[in-house]
Amino acid sequence: MNDMPPLEYFPVVDVGPLMKGLVIGGLGIFHVFLAQFAIGGGMLLCYLQWLHMRGACRLARRFADDYFKVLVLVSFVLGAVTGVAMWFTSIQVSPRTIATMVREFHWVWATEWTFFCLEVVAGYLFYRYGPRLTDPARLQLLLLYSGASWMSLFWINGILSWQLTPGGWLESHDVWAGFFNPGFLPSLIFRTISAAAIAALAACVLVNAVGGFSREERHELVAVCARPLVAMLAMPLVGAWYLATMPADSRGWTTGGSVPMTLFLTMAVGSSTLVGLYAVVAILRQRLYVNGATATLLLALAFAATAGGEFVREGVRKPFTIREYLYSNSIARDGIGQLRQRGCATDDPYPLRDAAAYPNAQLALGAKVFRVQCSVCHTLEGMNAVCELAATWSIDQRRLNIAQLQRTKPFMPPFAGTPAEVEAVVQLIGWIRAGRPPDWEEAHDAAVLAQIGRWLDEAGTGPGDARLAATGPLR
Amino acid sequence: MNAALPFGLPGATAFYLVLYLATFVVHMMFMHYVLAGATYLACGRLLGKARCAACEWQGILLDWLPFATGLAITAGVAPLLFVQMLYGREFATANLLLSHRWMAILPVLIVCFYLLYLQKSAWISRRQWVWRPLVAVAVCAGFLFIALSWTENHLLMLDHAAWPRLYESGSLRYESPGLLPRLAAWFFLAFPSLAIELAWQGRLTGVGIHAVPQPTAAVVGLSPVRRLALTAGAGLVGCVTAALLYWSTLSVSVRDAVAGPLAGPWLAILCGAVAVQAAVWFIAAIRGRLSLPLLFAATGGWIVGLVAVAVVREAIRLSAVDLAASAASHAAALRIGGLPVFLVFAVLNAAAIAWCIYVVRMTTHPPMKDKVIDRGG
Repeated sequence: MNDMPPLEYFPVVDVGPLMKGLVIGGLGIFHVFLAQFAIGGGMLLCYLQWLHMRGACRLARRFADDYFKVLVLVSFVLGAVTGVAMWFTSIQVSPRTIATMVREFHWVWATEWTFFCLEVVAGYLFYRYGPRLTDPARLQLLLLYSGASWMSLFWINGILSWQLTPGGWLESHDVWAGFFNPGFLPSLIFRTISAAAIAALAACVLVNAVGGFSREERHELVAVCARPLVAMLAMPLVGAWYLATMPADSRGWTTGGSVPMTLFLTMAVGSSTLVGLYAVVAILRQRLYVNGATATLLLALAFAATAGGEFVREGVRKPFTIREYLYSNSIARDGIGQLRQRGCATDDPYPLRDAAAYPNAQLALGAKVFRVQCSVCHTLEGMNAVCELAATWSIDQRRLNIAQLQRTKPFMPPFAGTPAEVEAVVQLIGWIRAGRPPDWEEAHDAAVLAQIGRWLDEAGTGPGDARLAATGPLR
Repeated sequence: MNAALPFGLPGATAFYLVLYLATFVVHMMFMHYVLAGATYLACGRLLGKARCAACEWQGILLDWLPFATGLAITAGVAPLLFVQMLYGREFATANLLLSHRWMAILPVLIVCFYLLYLQKSAWISRRQWVWRPLVAVAVCAGFLFIALSWTENHLLMLDHAAWPRLYESGSLRYESPGLLPRLAAWFFLAFPSLAIELAWQGRLTGVGIHAVPQPTAAVVGLSPVRRLALTAGAGLVGCVTAALLYWSTLSVSVRDAVAGPLAGPWLAILCGAVAVQAAVWFIAAIRGRLSLPLLFAATGGWIVGLVAVAVVREAIRLSAVDLAASAASHAAALRIGGLPVFLVFAVLNAAAIAWCIYVVRMTTHPPMKDKVIDRGG
């Protein structure tokens, strides 16, 4: 039984000409890259310490201490604070989505927090006392640090993959059915490999950046630190597995259905391939000397791959933020019908900030409807502007396309409002396209509203993609 | 409600509230160290090079503030989680209303964090002295801004009536008569915490016992223990004064609720805890030394005081937010699986943390035998 109210009203943040999705996407990519650096860094340091204890790398211990200082300065500061920033930004963008995630997975998050605590304490003790510790003590600290940081990935990965593939949770609302969802394992393995690769590339940059190593020593260290890159050979297989677990319509976006999604996936795959090829030829087979500039370029490619991958992961969830449960605009899947009767702006307690700018009440209503339903992904005149997207449509096309939004673009949610609210948005777009004149007549043609009503009914209240619509309402 | 918090609340709600308060108190311990420590350091730096050199507490703070900041942030994650379980709508709304102004705490925190590392770096020690007070003041100002933002956020959470009005105005500032007194109360409360934490650090690391060069100490004034006593005493006086001012800004109904059965007993406990701390620091200031029993007494008063102040704070919040109305959703949330997993890993990871500390301590420090922090001054 899904007893969620169709919509909860929060004050909507205005980020000007930027899309909110860009704000959280940009921050998310940055945070994921840093977090994966920390996780992979822990694993690499364990490996270096182990090599040192076996006598297999005479420089390993010294370099591990240098590496850890950078890890602390980057990961413990930027990584930790951007993690909190992700949380706060999620509230700014979609408070209902993050509230649902917190409600369903608060014990998982609390468990992850216990690993954060261990990670910070073990890491900082190593940073502070590592050079004075015995080798076994160092290895113990590093193993605990590394294990804790990987476990934090384990827990958050379950929640993030649940958003796209909630699996049995949709039926049972069982936390573990949601956590161990179809995308959990391939996503976890893929991220682990990415983390190992990013940490290895960062080590190659650092080997060249810190002083005190001769050219031969740098060459030796690069060869050792690059070994985890071998794991990238499994990426195509794991990536294909992950794609296979995606819902068919989401997979369709990445394989040509949506040009931006396909392009970003290509960017991720292409960048990863380049890094992998260079790693095999130049680093692992030691055919080329990897200097600081080359290593930095490879790390930048890894960042591009992360950015592409994260963009796709966020994008393919459309039209949902929580698959088949909550639409991108925070309206519950099963609440559309109710809002078609009641209106989405009727109960909104927050007035418009610029109410005086609208010549009539219909345009003000249009602005409210836009704020509730569209503003999470669109602006009126900035990025992904509604007025630009609808620029060439005739007025009837606007009515039809907005009323049947999920058919206009399959990654759009259905319109969740009354015919009068559709007309209000149409009038708003027309008014803005006309240059915001001071006088604008309200349009209340009963025949037009009746036609919009028929279009709304035709489109129904489910998502546009037939594969999604076929799943029916939630039980 | 006619029972003292959290007893009058429905079971699930009380459970989440207790978890929230417990994790919040732990967060406060680290946060107080950071806020008061950064202020202490900034004041010390402004007093000049000679006084800084003679104050071992500044050396400790310089060394440990980055780690403490990391701990404060990490410890803050859990209360952040539980506050959303309890007051999700209020917390999100206040965040959204303050918007960019609220989000500014994050870049400020990053800058402060890096400046803390810069403060202890060899790089800055090679620069002219003037850079050190500048950096220290910048850090202190940054943390104060963050404290102000949290206070503003908290008060806005309680003021439902102001939400639509504030949104319509487009203002990113929430003004309330209670803002500055409440900020001041929380700010000063951090200093008694800092004094106790430094006392323990001094005891455990040996700093403050042997490291004070006596002739210099005579020149620059107070002994380490008297410095701590002054810090704690000033903090307690400031906190009580500001809290009384804040009390005067509360409505009669809120005051009645807090002083009544809901939090009255906690208010009495808080007064007792403040009295114990004040007495300990007064004795320490007179004697110029802080024995272990006295330190334990102060620590007890401190921990009980923090718990009591957190509960009283919650009672004020409950006068604006009806938690019982959300009881059904709390009960439903508690039925969601995962609690046993959390408890198991909480114990295991706490043990792992203890093991890390043990391993490092066994390798780097001999056991301590000293009974008294300092006899100087």
